[in-house]
Amino acid sequence: MMRLPATRGEWIDRSRPVEFKFEGQTYKGYAGDTISSALWGAGVRVLGRSFKYHRPRGVLSLANHDVNALHQWADKPNVRADVTPLVAGMDLTAVNTFGSLADDKGRFLGKLSAVLPVGFYYKAFHSKRLFPMWERMFRAMTGLGKVDLKSPHKHTPKAYDFCDVLVIGAGPSGLSAALAAAAQGADVTVVDENAQAGGSAGYQLGNDNGRRQQHAELLAKVAAEPRIRVLTGTYAAGYYKDHWIPLVSAERMLKMRAGSVVVASGAFEQPAVFHNNDLPGIMLASAAQRLAYRYGVKPMDKAVLLTANVDGYRAALDLLALGTAIAAVVDLRANPGKAEPLAHLLRQSGVEVLSGHCIVEGVPGSTGLCAGARVAALRADGTPAAQTRDIPCDGILMSTGWAPAANLLYQATTRMRFDRAVEQFVPDVLPDGVFACGRVNGVFELERKLADGTRAGSHAAAAAGFGSASGVALPPESESPSHPWPIIDHPAGKNFVDFDEDLQFKDFCNAVQEGFDNIELLKRFSTNGMGPSQGKHSNMNGLRILARLTGKEPQQVGTTTARPFFHPVPMSILAGRGFHPERRTPLHSRHDALGAKWMPAGVWQRPEYYQLAGKSRLDCIRGEALAVRNGVGLIDVGTLGKLEVIGPQAAEFLERVYTSNYANLKVGMTRYAVMCDESGVIIDDGVVARLADDHFYFTTTTSGAATIYRELSRLNTMWRLDCGIVNHTGAFAAVNLAGPKSREVLRSLTGLDLSAAAFPYLAVREGEVAGIPARLMRVGFVGEWGYEIHVPASHGGALWDALMKAGASQGIRPFGVEAQRLLRLEKGHIIISQDTDGLTTPLEVGMEWALKMNKPFFVGQRSLVAVSHKPRKQQLVGISFPANHEGPVPLECNLVIEGGDIAGRVTSIAWSPTLKHHIGLAFVRPDLAKPGHTVSIRLTGGSMVQAQVSATPFYDPDNLKQKEAA
Amino acid sequence: MSTNLAVSPVADIATLPDPAAQKAAVANLGIADQSLTPRHGCKGPGAAAWLESFGLPIPPQPNSWLPVDGGGLIARLGFTEFLVEGPATLIARLASTPRSAGVYPVLRQDVALLLGGARLDELLRQTCNVNFRPLDLAARPVVLTSMVGVGVTVIPELRNGQPAVRIWGDGSYGHYLWETLLDIAVELGGGAVAPHSFN
Repeated sequence: MMRLPATRGEWIDRSRPVEFKFEGQTYKGYAGDTISSALWGAGVRVLGRSFKYHRPRGVLSLANHDVNALHQWADKPNVRADVTPLVAGMDLTAVNTFGSLADDKGRFLGKLSAVLPVGFYYKAFHSKRLFPMWERMFRAMTGLGKVDLKSPHKHTPKAYDFCDVLVIGAGPSGLSAALAAAAQGADVTVVDENAQAGGSAGYQLGNDNGRRQQHAELLAKVAAEPRIRVLTGTYAAGYYKDHWIPLVSAERMLKMRAGSVVVASGAFEQPAVFHNNDLPGIMLASAAQRLAYRYGVKPMDKAVLLTANVDGYRAALDLLALGTAIAAVVDLRANPGKAEPLAHLLRQSGVEVLSGHCIVEGVPGSTGLCAGARVAALRADGTPAAQTRDIPCDGILMSTGWAPAANLLYQATTRMRFDRAVEQFVPDVLPDGVFACGRVNGVFELERKLADGTRAGSHAAAAAGFGSASGVALPPESESPSHPWPIIDHPAGKNFVDFDEDLQFKDFCNAVQEGFDNIELLKRFSTNGMGPSQGKHSNMNGLRILARLTGKEPQQVGTTTARPFFHPVPMSILAGRGFHPERRTPLHSRHDALGAKWMPAGVWQRPEYYQLAGKSRLDCIRGEALAVRNGVGLIDVGTLGKLEVIGPQAAEFLERVYTSNYANLKVGMTRYAVMCDESGVIIDDGVVARLADDHFYFTTTTSGAATIYRELSRLNTMWRLDCGIVNHTGAFAAVNLAGPKSREVLRSLTGLDLSAAAFPYLAVREGEVAGIPARLMRVGFVGEWGYEIHVPASHGGALWDALMKAGASQGIRPFGVEAQRLLRLEKGHIIISQDTDGLTTPLEVGMEWALKMNKPFFVGQRSLVAVSHKPRKQQLVGISFPANHEGPVPLECNLVIEGGDIAGRVTSIAWSPTLKHHIGLAFVRPDLAKPGHTVSIRLTGGSMVQAQVSATPFYDPDNLKQKEAA
Repeated sequence: MSTNLAVSPVADIATLPDPAAQKAAVANLGIADQSLTPRHGCKGPGAAAWLESFGLPIPPQPNSWLPVDGGGLIARLGFTEFLVEGPATLIARLASTPRSAGVYPVLRQDVALLLGGARLDELLRQTCNVNFRPLDLAARPVVLTSMVGVGVTVIPELRNGQPAVRIWGDGSYGHYLWETLLDIAVELGGGAVAPHSFN
């Protein structure tokens, strides 16, 4: 066991032991432990295997900055053991092993590293012949945890949240910022991914009681401030404009809208690069401090500490005080600099301090764990001297520098600059309302971090409208906390820069040699920073290497794009509750009761057809169509867009937006309407009814209603005509009562004169149906005598019931969308967006008659003039198949082929139960469009079938069905 | 119109549990259907003057509302658009009066819901990105926004000291809106209640 005696402020509860399993073995930890801390505390040193070479790995960052320890927990893949709280009964296994963690058959891959050069994946796929083999092999070898597709759906509702000032990071600068902002009256939310607030103030103590006290006081002040809300175990996952920040916890995502934002996200401690720097036992110094102070776990018995800053000396003092022997402090610099007083304390304790030295390699023991550090003096050129010395130890601590956790600042469009004073990128120009403080701002020393936080908090509160901003930016640190080149080359390689992807120093050299000498190219070719850690521990060293190899400054090399999210987010959290708005007409329950089979139509649900017992889908659809042709049918058309335009210039408005004339439309009459966009392409159609001189009621397509209303509103605002538009789409229920017996059915429910003279084809009337005020239009979309009846939505059900009851004796039958499509096809009527596409003009679908080109203006007119002078590329025509046609018929979108070339496509096709043969509509080349011409259509399977171009309408070409005589 | 034939957009699903369950639900988060409350809408440059001619008070600012004598309210949804809810006689008179110049009647067939209870804010934060908490209820605000992906009009208020909101939306979204909000309300310990439960 590696547990230390209890210390004040530790995060574990030693009164609550927690039992769990890892790789089949049972272990004990404590409540408050993470999986990694519990395993390390139980003496487990190998927590996982690396991705590529399957090397044994232990703790590196203990901070979610690496993925050495990725575990499978039941149906949860890739649990990050370093930061996942321990739960009683957990049964964990390491991912990415073949067999077991201890006996991983994949570990032989490490021996093949010489034949797995950088860019291996890309090079493997160069051979088309070998592609399938490599694909199979890579799929078998790669991939981390296992997804259980049978996992139950987890409810993770998202929520919006709001605050005046959001502080990201609950370290000393962040908490200081929160206190300053709250003092100015702002409501502050502080968010931190750790389980408790305090950040580095809680563990980078240098065994200094004054720092301990300062930390405790800071937390107490925050706890006592009612304006501050602290969200721990939650991280700011991204930055979106207007200070919109997703905050992700284990349970949910909060979408936080802040008045202003303080980014106090700190910095990632960076590994040094030397041979075998990944042996279990070699970790970042801050990881060791967290293990010790937070979880009471002794990181190792005896350590060699590699450093290049004052933080490393503090870490040595911390661990020494907690019982870890420090065999040596190895400082890459010529002298300890500001750390000299701490170095003096260490020397007094018998610790050897080796300035101007480096670690050449980690020395593995017989078990593969760290057993020593091979140390050498650094020569003037920064390379190690040939003479080395082995220092026995069971762990190496690395504290050679930091990289700012600036991901959110980048996403917020902050302009960053590389500051040689601190050897890192710092914010140069911040966007409005975004502030930075602490390490991410290049400020490292505790007192300075507190001051920087106070400044940022005050400015952020002022930006959110609370108080006035005080404080100015601090001067740079007097000594860099990061070494500019913590990298030691080694002929044997295995000096890892990216621990996720097993990338070694030489991989970068080779990539640059192959020409990938741009940061973005290098990233993709080498995959540096493309693992689950997204470069948190590797981007900075990768950038340094590229800068040196190309002779550039880090500023010139630049950084790769920092995309949300900050850490990978479980799909369940991303998905949230899932809102899928759905519209229903008031007749929905009636359709359900009649056995409707539903189909989506945009956001609506519509009956495709009504299922009759023992009948096939096609039989039901054809039966419904025949009912309309021979008797009477009723269809719900309430999904149509229903708009009104009212006012003295209402007619003028319609003249401009539709292609036909409406100024001359008589009150009480309707007219078909086609709408084009500016390029002359058909975008919608419908029927315009004139209810009064200054009042029109008109329909749009189901899918077009919302966009057409929005576009018409825009046009009306622009044109400033004396009229107003009202969207009544959802306010009216609408049905189409159609068929030769429709008039008879309707007559029993209304006092309106339904004679052809009083209510002719294309007329509109207002009256009552079944006691309900209604608008009735005599339309012929399905080719039969019929009435479209519109009533207030709340009365839709009553209208439907009345019509069904009145029609019962006539055999009335509800019909669905498919029957309607068939009926209109028989009539040769097109459906916008089925028989047209995003390039179709009215000229190509035979609608010249609907274009009144002599009008002063309509939207698209100018383009249509131009288009009309050009030869047409296609023409919509009817096609038909002989009644004795046998074999398959084309599907919609099958191609018309002429002379081996594509000469068109089928847009609609169906078997007509009335005409007893297949009919359809198709686009064909104009030279093929003459009725009687035979066209060849390629079926889905590749065979060809012949169809004859036919005149439309196929049914009732003289429109006799709309006349009294019929 | 035969008002007895009118049916709420959520009539077939807005069923109520027993009174005891409603009482328990309303403390946390009650949701009630008020879709059949008489209402009338109008818009246009002449709308304010036209409504004033009926003796109705006109909210001076867009996105605000005023109470109407005899119960109900008039909400100003924009510079020239209004929603009136009130006594049936008033609404009938508005609906039957021929429109004047510059007045465009709007047929309001809304789904209208009343939600209230101690956990209302949690529901609002799950469903809508407007921060209702800082709104000054004394100023009688009207919020036009999107809730669970549907355009809605919202009036926040206090009912018996508890936060409440009245919500109007397109009736064709009624089913979806009711089911979604009820689902969340139930998760928060609430449920369907009769409108009078809030009194």
